[in-house]
Amino acid sequence: MAEMTFNMDDGYFEGLVRGFKGGLLTRGDYANLSQCETLEDLKLHLATTQYGNFLSNEPSPLAVSTIDAKLKERMVSEFQHLRKQAVQPLAKFLDYISYGYMIDNIILLITGILHERDVAELIPKCHPLGVFPELKTLSIANTTEELYNSVLVDTPLAPYFLECVTRQDLDELNIEIIRNTLYRAYIEDFYKFCKSIGGATEDVMCEILAFEADRRAFNITINSFGTELTKEDRMKLYPRVGRLYPAGLKMLADCSDYEEVVRVAEYYAEYRPMFDTGAATPGEKTLEDKFFEYEAKLNIKAFMQQFQYGVFYAFVKLKEQEGRNIVWISECIAQKNKSKIDNYVNLID
Amino acid sequence: MGTLWRSQEMGRAKLFVPSEVSYEVVSALGDIGLVQFIDANPDLNAFQRKFVNEVRRCDEMERKLRFFESEIEKLKLEINGAEEAASMPAPDMKGMHSMEAEFDRLEREMKEINNNEQVLKKQNLELTELHEILNRTAMFFDEAESATAALSADTADSSNTPLLEADERSGQLAFVTGVIARERVPGFERLLWRACRGNVFLRRVPIDEPVHDPTTGDEIHKEVFIVFYQGEQLGNRVKKICEGYDATIYPCPNLPSKRRELREGVKTRILDLQNVLHRTEDHRRHVLSTIAFKLGGWIVQVKKIKAIFHTMNKFNVDGTRKSLIAEVWYPLARVDEIQHALRVGTSRAGSDMQAILNDIPHDSKPPTAYFTTKFTRGFQSIVDAYGVATYREVNPGPFTIITFPFLFAVMFGDLGHGFLMMLVALMLVLKEKSLKNFDGGEIWDTMFNGRYIILLMGLFSMYTGFVYNDIFSKALSFGSGWSISEEEIPMNITGSATLELRAPYLDLNGTLHNGDLRHAYAFGIDPMWQVSENKLTFTNSYKMKLSVILGVLQMLFGVVLSLFNHRFFKKSLRIWHEFIPQTLFLSCIFGYLVICILYKWSTPLDDFPNQSAPSLLIMLINMFLRFGLPPPKEQVLYGDKEGNLQGKVQMALVVIAVVCVPWMLLTRPLILRSRQKRREREAEARVRAGMLQGSDDDHDDGHGDEEHSFGEMMVHQAIHTIEFCLGCISNTASYLRLWALSLAHAQLSEVLWDMVLHNGFTSWYLLFCAFAVWAVLTIGVLLIMEGLSAFLHALRLHWVEFQNKFYDGNGYLFTPFHFERVLKGQDDDAA
Repeated sequence: MAEMTFNMDDGYFEGLVRGFKGGLLTRGDYANLSQCETLEDLKLHLATTQYGNFLSNEPSPLAVSTIDAKLKERMVSEFQHLRKQAVQPLAKFLDYISYGYMIDNIILLITGILHERDVAELIPKCHPLGVFPELKTLSIANTTEELYNSVLVDTPLAPYFLECVTRQDLDELNIEIIRNTLYRAYIEDFYKFCKSIGGATEDVMCEILAFEADRRAFNITINSFGTELTKEDRMKLYPRVGRLYPAGLKMLADCSDYEEVVRVAEYYAEYRPMFDTGAATPGEKTLEDKFFEYEAKLNIKAFMQQFQYGVFYAFVKLKEQEGRNIVWISECIAQKNKSKIDNYVNLID
Repeated sequence: MGTLWRSQEMGRAKLFVPSEVSYEVVSALGDIGLVQFIDANPDLNAFQRKFVNEVRRCDEMERKLRFFESEIEKLKLEINGAEEAASMPAPDMKGMHSMEAEFDRLEREMKEINNNEQVLKKQNLELTELHEILNRTAMFFDEAESATAALSADTADSSNTPLLEADERSGQLAFVTGVIARERVPGFERLLWRACRGNVFLRRVPIDEPVHDPTTGDEIHKEVFIVFYQGEQLGNRVKKICEGYDATIYPCPNLPSKRRELREGVKTRILDLQNVLHRTEDHRRHVLSTIAFKLGGWIVQVKKIKAIFHTMNKFNVDGTRKSLIAEVWYPLARVDEIQHALRVGTSRAGSDMQAILNDIPHDSKPPTAYFTTKFTRGFQSIVDAYGVATYREVNPGPFTIITFPFLFAVMFGDLGHGFLMMLVALMLVLKEKSLKNFDGGEIWDTMFNGRYIILLMGLFSMYTGFVYNDIFSKALSFGSGWSISEEEIPMNITGSATLELRAPYLDLNGTLHNGDLRHAYAFGIDPMWQVSENKLTFTNSYKMKLSVILGVLQMLFGVVLSLFNHRFFKKSLRIWHEFIPQTLFLSCIFGYLVICILYKWSTPLDDFPNQSAPSLLIMLINMFLRFGLPPPKEQVLYGDKEGNLQGKVQMALVVIAVVCVPWMLLTRPLILRSRQKRREREAEARVRAGMLQGSDDDHDDGHGDEEHSFGEMMVHQAIHTIEFCLGCISNTASYLRLWALSLAHAQLSEVLWDMVLHNGFTSWYLLFCAFAVWAVLTIGVLLIMEGLSAFLHALRLHWVEFQNKFYDGNGYLFTPFHFERVLKGQDDDAA
């Protein structure tokens, strides 16, 4: 049924987003990019891809940060083009995508303020997808309660924030907990939303979000070793929608070193290969890269199904990954250190 | 015709250019546009090529030019110099250097001016905002003072009310004044209230005039606000919120006298500043207008330079002899011009090292090149749109010049409509010089490029309109050949006789009941048919037969053209086993039909063997269905009364046609197979005789592309045969669209006349309205829509029915390096 009516509201956008996806760089493009000697070469080569003349109005010499900013600007303009015209429930879905970036921005700002950095200096570092009007006023809050009551209560993130409202002052550990609690609530809510849409969207998105949830669970566990986070608290931070839920999460909560995490991952066919050699041997891909690769694979897979919203999420994530790749390659070129230039995540063969 | 009949003979050559003159030589070649460069290093990336730095410099120059352009566009100045530069040769390397230096200087100057202006504008903005604040807040303070006065006049008995408490401490009340963008006010207000728990007091007033953002120049609506608060901590918080909402805070003195003082000061400063600002703007305008005067030329020149370097990137570098080598395609007939251009190039560079064009043998397929004129270009593009001709095959282009407008006109035959169309096209043709640069969008371009096609279509439609004797569904009369007595005109007609004339049934023989044919009409169809009862029966039969005749002739012509191809490419097998059976097949069935039509037209009824005109369609069908039998009596067209002669002739024709099918299908593949077998046997024999060496190579060249497996060849030939035989029938039927469209057109125009314009003949004001409607519909429906549909059908008849008889269309176009193409953006490589 959804297939019949999908195109009435969302067909145009799906077409657009598939067109955008067609512009993603391929293996050949990356191979050419990594052969570049200077950033000017990179610019010249990017001009032959879908990026076209997006750097042509930038005076030489180019800086990596300019490339990064332009890449983000381009992605955001594509996203905004979709968002501005979309109708419900796609509009809501697209909003959900931007919530993740909003959380990142909030955490970035709070951390910055904690270290007494100027807000004006931090704002350009925020991801433009997650900028909202109240963002700049975050600095007035000293406790999470204030943060919630005065700033965030009007934003769509308010319900996620409810859980971490305490009278405690903000500090390093607190912020990490806030970030993960927010993310947990966000992912769970997004997951529920996708379930409510149902159909192919549910199939595609729930798989991606389940992976996202599990990845966070692994990361939280690994990063919490050696901190004062208790096992009970850790358990509370795990998003409870992934494949690890419930048994795997319990096991993860009990882990006390990396080896144990690897043992938990052994039970899951998808995650076992990622922990296979671990990050122990140098030159190997890190766990993070493997997660990224798997995520890219899932996102590409999302395009295999028609009439569903997964493509929008997948597109944003793929574009983000592509941005990371280009920035990585640019950094390697700019610093004349080409030994690790191949460490990008290839998206399309 | 000579140049269009077949595409130009192309030569492949190596071009050796000494590297110091290469730029000038390529530039000279770009001026004449006769040479297509082949990329010698297709595997190299853009940034690995030799002249990548020069290309990059051009990019940089283009960026600067774009910057100037956007600045100039903001001031809406006119950009000049493009046309002049387009006709001049590209600047030399020295010119490029000086251009670079000049752009650099201008960019720095512009940036400086812009920065200055921005700073000034920002100051101006701040001062204006401060001025507004002082103006607006004066009101708040006045209010507050009067309120205080009122309160102090009041008795102090309710001194414990919070309002009075605040009033008592009003000395400690601090305030912040500032300006905020209007759309951010609601959020600002809400957050202020929430964050300060309602302990602040906010007043705001919109500024009537929108202010201009100093960097982007956009209009922004802003509001002046004043926030009263108590205490240091709250103040900090308020200020932070203001910052968060991008509000600009301005200090405002507490005392009214100071405020007044400040206001006066600000006023004079604004005046001063605006003076300076005006002067800066004038200076900026002056600089930009000098740039604008040359900018168009610069853009063209930089494009040319960039195109030259792009082309030079396709060259190979010869390390030892310090020269660049390119492989090129060029039309052999124009080699003198190319040599001349090479000499011009070297002399421009002031060197005596000559560039050398050296023909080389090649086995790749050359591009297809035509030299068209502005007249033939449109027609050639009709052919090219279907497929570019294979190198040196017969080009249907020159025939299209006549047949295309003619077939169109057969469907569009109306003197009036054709005349209007001709007028429009004539206007386009006569004013082509001034209209060339008119930018009217894609539809306009299509029409303008096809102006000669439309002109011919209009002229031919006038001709067929004469033949059909049809002008806006009425007829011209130069003395009808029919005489009809007064009483024979039916009298059930109202209105004036001239308009409502209805002739009775006219008989083709002109002898039967009420008409009398005295003589044949001078040209075309007798006007009497236009008003006769059986007009439709007559014109239908006429137009239907006409379309069959035209169709068969065009197809036959197509088959004949294939003969020229076979002879040119020396394919004698195809002549004997394809061309001849095809011609026989087509002429035995449909050629015979055409002859019968012509015979029947020219024969009076009494001269038929049985005094009855047979239906030709039935005759054709019976040729096959009643094979071997003489036709029934009423079906005899010629010969003896029993139809024995006709029967025998038809039998013979059918036999020939049927024999042609296996002839086409089998002979060529079988002959090729036997040749191949023989070769194999010979090779085997030679192997046995011990003469193996190199014998294979000698023979492979001889049969070239025909070396396929027998099965493949057979399938191919079968498809070809079936396509042709079935095609003959379906294509002939397809040509009936000529009749159908012509009928539709005539009927539609008649409907328009009878139903619309005719209704207006009763009074002048009705006529006025009816004419308007009629004219709009005639132009909109008949001229444009019908014209488009007839155009499309003519296009189809050419592409499918005509060209599939001989046209291969597997070539690729010659794309020379030409500045004209580069500037028009047609050259993708150098864009």
